[in-house]
Amino acid sequence: MATRWYQPYIGVKNRGINPEGFHVSQIKFYIVLIPLAGLMLLPIIYIFSSAFKPPEELFAYPPPLIVTNPTMKNFNDLFSILSTSGIPVSRYLFNSILITLVTVAASIIISSAAAYALSKKQFRLKQTLFVVNNVALMFVPIAVTIPRFLIVENLNLLDTFWVHVLPVLAMPVGLFLLKQFIDGIPDEVIEAAQIDGASDLHIYWRIILPMIQPALATIAILTFQAAWNNADTSTTYINNESLRTLAFYLTTLTSTTATGADAVAGQGVAAAAALIMFVPNLIIFIFLQSQVMSTMSRSGLK
Amino acid sequence: MNWRRFFPREISLRAREALYGYGFILLWVIGFLLFALIPLTETFRFSLNQVAVTATEINLDFVEWANYSRALLTDPNFIELLIGYAVETLVSVPIVLIFAMIIALFLNLKFPLKSLFRVIFFLPIVITSGPVIRELTAQGAASAPGISTIPAVVEFLTQLPRALRSPVEYLLTSFILILWFSGVQILIYLASLQKIDKSIYEAAAMDGASSWEIFWKIILPALSGVTIVNAIYTIVILSHFSENKVIRYIYDQTYDVRGGIGYASAMAFIYFGVMLAILVTVYLLLTRWGKRNTK
Repeated sequence: MATRWYQPYIGVKNRGINPEGFHVSQIKFYIVLIPLAGLMLLPIIYIFSSAFKPPEELFAYPPPLIVTNPTMKNFNDLFSILSTSGIPVSRYLFNSILITLVTVAASIIISSAAAYALSKKQFRLKQTLFVVNNVALMFVPIAVTIPRFLIVENLNLLDTFWVHVLPVLAMPVGLFLLKQFIDGIPDEVIEAAQIDGASDLHIYWRIILPMIQPALATIAILTFQAAWNNADTSTTYINNESLRTLAFYLTTLTSTTATGADAVAGQGVAAAAALIMFVPNLIIFIFLQSQVMSTMSRSGLK
Repeated sequence: MNWRRFFPREISLRAREALYGYGFILLWVIGFLLFALIPLTETFRFSLNQVAVTATEINLDFVEWANYSRALLTDPNFIELLIGYAVETLVSVPIVLIFAMIIALFLNLKFPLKSLFRVIFFLPIVITSGPVIRELTAQGAASAPGISTIPAVVEFLTQLPRALRSPVEYLLTSFILILWFSGVQILIYLASLQKIDKSIYEAAAMDGASSWEIFWKIILPALSGVTIVNAIYTIVILSHFSENKVIRYIYDQTYDVRGGIGYASAMAFIYFGVMLAILVTVYLLLTRWGKRNTK
């Protein structure tokens, strides 16, 4: 039955729970959801309008939500700084894209494989490993910066491409969420596959991964952001300018100008840079959200 | 060479199962050891020492628990920040959970534009990490400081008992921020709501259960397991939030002359302990509640 926005005749089908089309009784959903949805959209609106604000609006208090006199000045300032940079910006951009892609792909495969083992395989260290992961989950990342630096140094990873990728891969939150999702898959599904002669790799690749697709997409979005916005790695482990990322470059840009004489222009440039950094996050989100939403109902036995 | 003894052609099913298990988890374990567990133990060692970094090496001077006692007994800011963090977390977690559950219940119903709303409520996932939230907090847009200066609110706050004042004020000023943290939680609730078999609702409706009763007797018990997952996730995300005051303080102390790495490491461990205590409390409360529910 095709879902229509509005049905003039509300028949038997539309009474009771779960009417097919629009029903007057549904207005209460919108009354609750629309204002809350507005709240959720606020920051996005804000970040977009901030980037186009002239200085006097940027410094107004309380900050206005919507820009009244949009200007391209912030972007012009940003691009004029970019064009005078010693290393072409495309270099940073390329680094960021490559690092982000490799990190997202690798961390999804590693975390989901580990989550599958922790959830569905039987071996002795299983419980211990999960507990250890949960403990690590709680530890503040900044506290381990210095020991981590020493390890990276000992592994001769300083000033290499891999230092951007490797330390981010073991993502405890990702493993935790993925394991919870895999726990929700009934054992019968896996047993059925085993009886049909599927190997472990087959089960992992053809059954587990498709069934936890919403969780995978969620983790992908989270990892993407962590990798894309990561400026710390470039600061801590990289001395070679041509191996640094866009996130790092944009933060140096805005922080140096903000302390200088033209702090006012710095704020504008920062707002423009924040928008440029944010747009890929939004694109990835829009790109992956259908994965998150559409397959959710499929996981489970009927 | 009797190599067969070491590599028998047929190994038992259980051993093979374990072998595959380790195989799947191996890469993760290596990464985890190198970049999480070893640094963690190193940090603990640092926290027992006075650490001085020179150009070539790191000098450790063993001071036993001095860093810890300094953080707990003499530092004027740390304890206050820690208590603030604990109160804020304990206030935020129930709000995030209840909000996420209500929104998930709504989004699980059928109505036009449902999928659009789902996307919008999941959207905060791209806000709370990354440049957006930094920009927002930097400009003071994430909280509503104006609220706590409205005369009626001031009046209301001063009438509250002292212990309640700061949590309520936090609630009023950061309500929006708390809601932004519920994207993933809504998703997790929604996923488990969709696993409830529709025929259970039908059966309950046949037996004359109202939707209120269906919620309390069917939906809520079905959600009690994921509520624990959501609670843990919320606490961890709130505690690792980059604008968190305790984290900022620890970070500042790391590179401060009077602080130092050893001192910051000790504070990180105390923070970790407090977080663990909150987590265990919430976990125990929720499991007890879950057990009572399923009875």
